[in-house]
Amino acid sequence: MGFKNSWMIMGDLSKPYYDLSANYATTINDAYGFSLSQTQYNRSRSTSRTAEVIYVRKVKRWNMPEAQANMWFAGGVGATKDSKLDETRATASLGVQLDYETTRFYSMVATRTSFAGGMTSTNSTARLGVSFYEVDYDQAQPWIVIEARRIEVESKQYEFTPLIRVIHNKYFIEAGANLSGHLRFNFMLNY
Amino acid sequence: MKLIYAGLLGVVLAFLSVASASTKITVNGMVCAFCAQGIEKSLSKIPEVKAVFVDLKNKVVVVESRDGVALNDKSLTQGITDAGYDVIKIESIPQTISQFRSERRSKK
Repeated sequence: MGFKNSWMIMGDLSKPYYDLSANYATTINDAYGFSLSQTQYNRSRSTSRTAEVIYVRKVKRWNMPEAQANMWFAGGVGATKDSKLDETRATASLGVQLDYETTRFYSMVATRTSFAGGMTSTNSTARLGVSFYEVDYDQAQPWIVIEARRIEVESKQYEFTPLIRVIHNKYFIEAGANLSGHLRFNFMLNY
Repeated sequence: MKLIYAGLLGVVLAFLSVASASTKITVNGMVCAFCAQGIEKSLSKIPEVKAVFVDLKNKVVVVESRDGVALNDKSLTQGITDAGYDVIKIESIPQTISQFRSERRSKK
């Protein structure tokens, strides 16, 4: 979520998994929106598609002189269509994220569990990033980020993805490829 | 006599409002432009605000008021709080944003 009375649009795009979401912050701590995601089962053509209404809560922010840390909660309810079983089920998800960043360093851990028709699956992510240099507010800032991510229904293994991140005002983009060569593109837009 | 005092007070206040061209706010938690844009947008909505300058490196925000209008510290603090940040210090400075940026550049 962004700042109060702002929209945040986010995309996480790769071959085995994509997620597009948008939310509107009604208060400094609360945002409501929707999410569309698709996960490809491990090395198969079967997919799981989910549409959810989501709620994001900034549980706590620590503002420090040279750093910022946050604890986030995200919950969603919606429907999942499984191409393997050819059925649609009600779904719910719960997620938690912790992050800490300075002007030159970024770290984050997140986990999100989905419940659909008696089945659960968990996505786990950890990220570390460093920026090349500090910038002024109106300049673009490049970062190098390494991500470890496990999408349980896709694979039991963690995938590691180095990414180049560029932040410039309201634009946030990341591009990279994991160690299997799968391309990855993420973006955020806040306005 | 009261009228004279009131007149003098008016002159002093007018002088102060001219002397204090901007308000400088020290902010905690301001670490990236993507997040800090909320500060610029939130403060720009305040009718008395003419311009906002975010100094990410020094963790300060400088706000310039419209001509002849005084800035309210409380509404500035609220604007920054709404953007998710904490105000540590708020002070009047004699420089305009343009002068503040020039001085900052010359210090580099």
